[in-house]
Amino acid sequence: MTASDHLPYAADAESPLKDSELAVLRSQYTREGSFVGVQTKFNYAWGLIKSRHRHDQQLGVRLLTEIFRDHIERRRECLYYLALGHYRLGNYAEARRYNDTLLENEPGNLQALSLRSLVDEKVAREGLLGVAIVGGVAVVAGLLGSVVWRGLGRKR
Amino acid sequence: MDSPSQSGHPRSSSPPLDASPRSVSDTEPNVLGNVITRDLNRIQRTVAATANHLIAPLAEGAQASGHYQSAMGDLSKQLAKRPSLQKRMLSLNHRSPSELMRSRLSTSEIQHRALTHVPEEMLHNVPNYEHSYSLFQGFQATIPEESDGEGRKHRHRRRDGKHKSLEGGGGGPASLAAMDREKTALKRQLELLAIRKNMASSEIREIDQKISNLHQMRDIVFDRLAGLEQEEVEIEHEIISVENKMEDLEDELELAAIEENTRRGASTDDGSNADDTAADEGFMSESIYAKLPQKKVRKRNRRGRISTAVLHEHLEPGHKIREISAHEDTITALDFDVPFGTMVTASVDDSVRVWDLNSGRCYGSLEGHIASVRCLQVEDNLVATGSADASIRLWDLSKADAFKYSPPSTVVDDDAEIVENFKVQSMADCHVMTLGSHVDEVTALYFQGDTLVSGSADKTLRQWDLVKGRCVQTLDVLWAAAQSSMDEGKWRSPAIRAPGEGDFIGALQCFDAALACGTADGMVRLWDLRSGQVHRSLVGHTGAVTALQFDDVHLVTGSLDRSIRIWDLRTGTIYDAYGYENPVTSMQFDTRRIVSAAGVPVAKIYDKTDGRHWDCGAGATEDAINAAVVDRVRVKDGYLVEGRRDGMVGVWAC
Repeated sequence: MTASDHLPYAADAESPLKDSELAVLRSQYTREGSFVGVQTKFNYAWGLIKSRHRHDQQLGVRLLTEIFRDHIERRRECLYYLALGHYRLGNYAEARRYNDTLLENEPGNLQALSLRSLVDEKVAREGLLGVAIVGGVAVVAGLLGSVVWRGLGRKR
Repeated sequence: MDSPSQSGHPRSSSPPLDASPRSVSDTEPNVLGNVITRDLNRIQRTVAATANHLIAPLAEGAQASGHYQSAMGDLSKQLAKRPSLQKRMLSLNHRSPSELMRSRLSTSEIQHRALTHVPEEMLHNVPNYEHSYSLFQGFQATIPEESDGEGRKHRHRRRDGKHKSLEGGGGGPASLAAMDREKTALKRQLELLAIRKNMASSEIREIDQKISNLHQMRDIVFDRLAGLEQEEVEIEHEIISVENKMEDLEDELELAAIEENTRRGASTDDGSNADDTAADEGFMSESIYAKLPQKKVRKRNRRGRISTAVLHEHLEPGHKIREISAHEDTITALDFDVPFGTMVTASVDDSVRVWDLNSGRCYGSLEGHIASVRCLQVEDNLVATGSADASIRLWDLSKADAFKYSPPSTVVDDDAEIVENFKVQSMADCHVMTLGSHVDEVTALYFQGDTLVSGSADKTLRQWDLVKGRCVQTLDVLWAAAQSSMDEGKWRSPAIRAPGEGDFIGALQCFDAALACGTADGMVRLWDLRSGQVHRSLVGHTGAVTALQFDDVHLVTGSLDRSIRIWDLRTGTIYDAYGYENPVTSMQFDTRRIVSAAGVPVAKIYDKTDGRHWDCGAGATEDAINAAVVDRVRVKDGYLVEGRRDGMVGVWAC
């Protein structure tokens, strides 16, 4: 049994916890202080990532990164959550980085595969939009330039 | 990488683009501008539509705007034609534009990125561990804590339901399905419980791991502390040696100056030579005489440890710091100044030895007493010893040449060899004075400042002035007892006193004009040294008092009646008491513990803060057979020194 059997899908990350639930997790996390256990930390981090607020998500990703650094035995699992967290934050490059590392290790991980397609989709969409904006700006600039140039030409 | 659903939408936007990239020639700029602004507005609506509409007019205007636009159009066209290429290009970039913007422009984002960045090699070091539960399972098991109670309720409800169904007699297929549902729900609960159990046990394991890690860290830091203290000691001794050298040099210079003076005097005054030299000698000796005590005082301030050793405070209670084979026979008395400082031990073999507790080395022996030393006290560099030869001797350790520091590396490991070594060294040069008015064994003494009080088997207490070296007061215990108006103050023949057991004056301590002494009749008498009278007697012990110490609130006594009693000094009543199996021969307390020797091979310790009784010493471990009975104990700041009947001295942290 690998951890992948018990991984949430990205959709799960979209459903935020109730404030009271998150408060419970937070109080658990703060109560354990500097000797916080990995599970408690993860619980809080995951609760934060599920949140709608960007700063919560950022904190969640930071906690996950700490888990990743400190607990080598949980790294494999953390990869996926880090990828999800960065995906939620819109840091698609980072998300892809973690997810691809996970897929290198577990090519059959369904959740990771689905996350990859989600990330790709987002990047493609945003990328196209970006190209469109850049292109639009370039065209406007070009047209303005030509108008000015022509105006000058007429004067002459 | 390319799933059809993704590539589908850009492809759908491409046909109009394919149709005519550069077919339309330039038109009026106004018209073009209108078209473009309209299109720009549309950008915001949908991505697909935007791409479609934007690229087409762009291509229309390409001819007019020159190669730049045509290139742009080409690029767009290509991209639109081949979404996979586009994607590859973007994925090569690995960042979507909005992400790029954020990561470049927002400081909080940059900060967050720096915090969450994981280096590449760490990223690839992801070993696969088997866990009894995944983090997500753990999360799931934790989060429905609130609904847990509900689950319980469910169960109760179910039970009620069962009763009802039993009463009702037989259930239809509907109730069967419900029960099936319940069964699965219960199974799920069981699973959750198993996960929670696993979580708890693995958490315990984690904590154990952390504890052992912390222990390791503690050991490392402890070693560091030990090293630092050692360094401290070495530097302190270096300072002292440098200062001594400076003093020597100053003395020499002064002497040289004096000689110069005398020579000049001799050369100028060639008449009465004999008179002059006599006068000079007188002057010289006077100057040296005047200088000597001054020098001594200075030295005394400097000797001993400048810094305070704290190492033993971090040792586990009961940890053995050192064991010294100090004498060949029973230790009769011992004392030390400060933890890791100087210790003086006396034995029935008449020898008195001075030890460096830091290195375990023997400085030398104090020779002079013609009988064994029964009691002694060490304070800074001053040592007072009271002997069975009825005399008290005072020693200043700083005056001895042997009392110099040598680094612990020179310490010989073999204890026997040390014994050989120090037998040669006598510290006779540090003898200051002998106080010899007592006519029988001196069994107890205490000094503070310039006052020394001694108790002797001649049934008197004497008060001494250490500056003048004279006895200033003699207190006859029996007479004072007879004078006492109260009945309880009278001398009593102790109830269980065996002949030859217990000294007449077992212990005493004074503070300013207050003196407390414990005697063979089991009484503790509090004296006023100004009036020379007993102003209070503490009755309770049924055997000779052998040990006594007081602080500002309590007075603690140990007796041959096998008990330790703690008295309230203000009210004169018993505050607390506890007993041992054997007579108490020695006792001392510090801020936290009362340590006593009670005829067993361990030091008995009573922890005042948590009320715990425990044993510390060689006899507390398995090899108790070899350990001799502890006769004398001393404790200061959790640093315990005990002397045994076989001449061994053990140093412990407690």
